[in-house]
Amino acid sequence: MGNKFAYSLEVKDLTKHYGSVKAVDGVSFSIEKGEIFGLLGPNGAGKTTTVEMIVGLRKPDNGSINICSIDALSNLSAIKEVIGVQLQTTALYNKIRVIEAIELFGSYYKKSLPPSEILELVSLDEKKNAYYVTLSGGQKQRLALGLALVNDPSVLFLDEPTTGLDPQARRNVWDIIENLKKQGKTIILTTHYMEEAEKLCKRVAIIDKGIIIAIDTPGDLIKAAGTDSTVEFEATGFKEELIINELSHLGKVIKTSEGKFTIYTKTPSRALKEISGFAEKNNVNIENINTRRATLEDVFISMTGRKLRD
Amino acid sequence: MKSLSKQLAMENKLFLRNMDDLFWTIVFPLFFILLYGFIYKDMMWEDYGMRAIDYIMPGIIVMALMVTGIMSSATGFIEDRQKGIYRRLSVTPLKKYVIILSQIINRYMIMLIQTFIIMIIGVLLFNVSISGNYFLLLLVITLGAVCFLSIGFFLVTFVKNARAATPVCMIVFFMLLFLGGIFFPLNIMPDFLRVISNILPSTQLNDALRMVIIEGLGISSMYKELLITGGWIIVTLGLSIKFFKWE
Repeated sequence: MGNKFAYSLEVKDLTKHYGSVKAVDGVSFSIEKGEIFGLLGPNGAGKTTTVEMIVGLRKPDNGSINICSIDALSNLSAIKEVIGVQLQTTALYNKIRVIEAIELFGSYYKKSLPPSEILELVSLDEKKNAYYVTLSGGQKQRLALGLALVNDPSVLFLDEPTTGLDPQARRNVWDIIENLKKQGKTIILTTHYMEEAEKLCKRVAIIDKGIIIAIDTPGDLIKAAGTDSTVEFEATGFKEELIINELSHLGKVIKTSEGKFTIYTKTPSRALKEISGFAEKNNVNIENINTRRATLEDVFISMTGRKLRD
Repeated sequence: MKSLSKQLAMENKLFLRNMDDLFWTIVFPLFFILLYGFIYKDMMWEDYGMRAIDYIMPGIIVMALMVTGIMSSATGFIEDRQKGIYRRLSVTPLKKYVIILSQIINRYMIMLIQTFIIMIIGVLLFNVSISGNYFLLLLVITLGAVCFLSIGFFLVTFVKNARAATPVCMIVFFMLLFLGGIFFPLNIMPDFLRVISNILPSTQLNDALRMVIIEGLGISSMYKELLITGGWIIVTLGLSIKFFKWE
């Protein structure tokens, strides 16, 4: 306590097995105060299980969890006062009004923010007297976010905060999270949307099959994976091994789906030339060739050979 | 205490806003007391030495308690659990016992109100005369409340799926209703059914309530009834506490 280098959240060697399935296998990371940290990975990667263990919904088989220098596994009731949690699916009583839900959740904590402040934070002031059942998906998600904020938590957990929302509603939720970022909230969010992680997170852990395979800022992850630029093309009527062999000196060549290839390269213009040269020489028909800046999705593909979302 | 009173106030509000619950707990029993009252008027059931409505009114109170304890409480809880409401609450500092206690108090209050309304109608419209001890009446009602809430809790424990909740609770409710001798005297039933009837808590509470309200008997006349009901509480509550899961 009082140590300015203390982490808001420290997780070491977190492990959860279901029979022979390792849902989470030795996950470790630390989050500094005021940081937005993303757990990025495909569905079933172990993101939700990780969060559920940290907030006390599941008991880990192994590992330690420290939240604001409190041992979470032995002091769960103290932890509950200082964390805010938005679960992947939050449901409430159908006939509870927005304002009532915020007041009710506030009453669960020793100290809580005024309901009017929460309503403003999640822009639900106009809906404060509406029944939960009448809210749209985006409004329900914003209320869930508001309920996670009622105790002014030291660490906020958001599990897939925008999954299932339309683009406009997603942008609204992003705006709220950006706003919380400005206020210096410590947030851990899980997502399988790479653009969400890139936009919101200071650092990202990429998790796959229960293991963290990379952890860094989005920019450095992209650089480190050697995926500064991405060249994509479709090639038909040729052996894919040949394409991969002939072009692999340009960078990492990955077949993303039938007849579709992606090359991660530091020299995109040279790659374009060589691809057309290769196509001419071998009489391969190449279509839809394009280059773009690499994203976290590309980092995931280059590390696992699979797409984030299938 | 602060969280319990808040939680209870919310349970009460939610109950009043739920038209289904209001219908089944209040309108449905009211409908039956009025229906039977106007059908039978002052007709006597000679076997029992009392008017039909005197025989039936305590049964309708038992039915009302069952609606609240089994139909409304159990199905509501199973649905809320499946929706993930309790999961969300479990990451807040709210204590689990506060959730349970607020629901029990809310249901108990509803049951007392139901009993009161049915008795008022019986007395004012159909000349039912209350001859028993009010403390004993409260005791029997309370025992019935605990018994049907325990059976509801038992169903909550062993029925996981919200889609199965309503039909299963309905079946249990109607079994207890029709085999409990609530709408017709047990002596018209075949022997094998009467054997089943005699061990059901609805039958026992029905008899006990009739003894206290109509016949004005004391507690010493109803040991058998109270013991069998107590047995149901011990078995259903014990199994529920052992196997109940919040998720």
